[in-house]
Amino acid sequence: MKVALVTGGAKPDSIGHEVSLRLVKEGMRVAVADLYEEGFSALRECFCVRCDVADPASVEQAIAAVASRFGRIDVLVNCVGGSWGITRKDLLASPPLGFRGLTNCTLENWRTIVAANLDSVFYCARAAAPHLKKQGGAIVNVASVAARKGIPPGAEGSSGPYVVAKAGVTGLTRQLALELGPFGVRVNCVAPGVIASGRLKRVMALTGKERGPEGPLSTIPMGRVGSVDECAALIVALCTDDTSYMTGVTVDANGASYAA
Amino acid sequence: MPLEGLKGRRALVTGAASGIGAAIVSRLEREGVSVVGTDIHPGNGIVVADLTDGDEVEKLSAKAGAPDFLINVAGGPVAPSREHTLPDLPKKSMPLEEVDEKSWHAVLAANLTTAFLVCREFAPRMKKRKFGRIVNFASIAARRGSDRVGVHYAAAKGGIIGLTKTLALELGPHGITVNAIAPGFIKTPRIAAADWGNASPAFIESLPLRRAGTPDDIAGVVAMLCSEAGGYVSGATIDVNGGWYFGP
Repeated sequence: MKVALVTGGAKPDSIGHEVSLRLVKEGMRVAVADLYEEGFSALRECFCVRCDVADPASVEQAIAAVASRFGRIDVLVNCVGGSWGITRKDLLASPPLGFRGLTNCTLENWRTIVAANLDSVFYCARAAAPHLKKQGGAIVNVASVAARKGIPPGAEGSSGPYVVAKAGVTGLTRQLALELGPFGVRVNCVAPGVIASGRLKRVMALTGKERGPEGPLSTIPMGRVGSVDECAALIVALCTDDTSYMTGVTVDANGASYAA
Repeated sequence: MPLEGLKGRRALVTGAASGIGAAIVSRLEREGVSVVGTDIHPGNGIVVADLTDGDEVEKLSAKAGAPDFLINVAGGPVAPSREHTLPDLPKKSMPLEEVDEKSWHAVLAANLTTAFLVCREFAPRMKKRKFGRIVNFASIAARRGSDRVGVHYAAAKGGIIGLTKTLALELGPHGITVNAIAPGFIKTPRIAAADWGNASPAFIESLPLRRAGTPDDIAGVVAMLCSEAGGYVSGATIDVNGGWYFGP
């Protein structure tokens, strides 16, 4: 049986959670690495490990635990991310009030956000690569429409450092595609627009229903936000043979709000 | 697990008689989709039509009903005609000076006008039902440029990307997604016959995945875009090329 590792799969209303459940249905053995230990009991079919993806030692430990439990790793899905809710302190918090752009964020904001969104993907991919290379497999990263179009000043719930980190994830995806392709490991990325996850609910509690973390929802051509199911299904498709000849690609899933 | 959202749907696939189009028909049928295939080239179960001709598109429309999925594969670097419905591909590259006006117009018609006419015919039925998935075919020739197939083909496929983005904006409010797939080097029987299958080992070794693509590699991505996984993807051009070119 194939083995998948999903980071950020423990919050019950997250994209990573739905991805984890769907990979189980695909017939894989699934490990979930997350800081949100309270969510582990709802993932009975998964092997859950506490992991701070912003800490390289914690990542090395988690991946060693998964490899020793299952003997192999075929798939890595890097779902951890966000401008907030990414440290043990604020996991289920509301988004901070006030727009944090590049010109007004603190150095601490910058370091925390880049660590959770970009450093984490580097740490996880580097630690998982030796296992993936043995038999081939797939990595799927999650960027954001923010990496394509930036965040307009005034939008709450996202941030300037997030834009930069997610753009970094698309570049990291290309580089890993070149390095791992010869070993039969495909590396792709999904760049979601506004998705109806628990995080969006927490943003809307702050901003009202008319605005998402990237600004007004009325500007989305499809006239709606995306569902967690749609986004998770796309991530899973990038893990399977349906996408056997795709690598290095970022697939935009944003309801036609930004065509790259 | 089968892909969600395909079983019981109806599809129209153009360019369905051979190569990538034929692989898409088989894949969708395996997923329980009821497929009408059309082509200028006759074949098993194929509705023959020249889709550069608006009257023929109208006639096709009577036979194809109201598809949920519209897959516009028809096209290629050499335009087919009634006399040569599946023309050979050139065995060498096509420099600017060798592209005459006649082939310029014919290649634009075969690759771009066909997609425009077919979308114009079938999109209104999708709008009525507030659901539809349109997948157009661009090419790496439009993304990276091509040192092989000529400016007419690259320009037509670039046009497909503009058409796709515009229809995504226009049809999005009606529950219709519109995307393009840009295949790289795909080893179809026609390409193999033109000796492109003997692409240099150095070229294949330069691809991150170290191999040419197959029609089935493309059919999987079409199935993905038509399924639940494609529900919020619209306006996108998906590069399927083994890592040859990563897009903008």
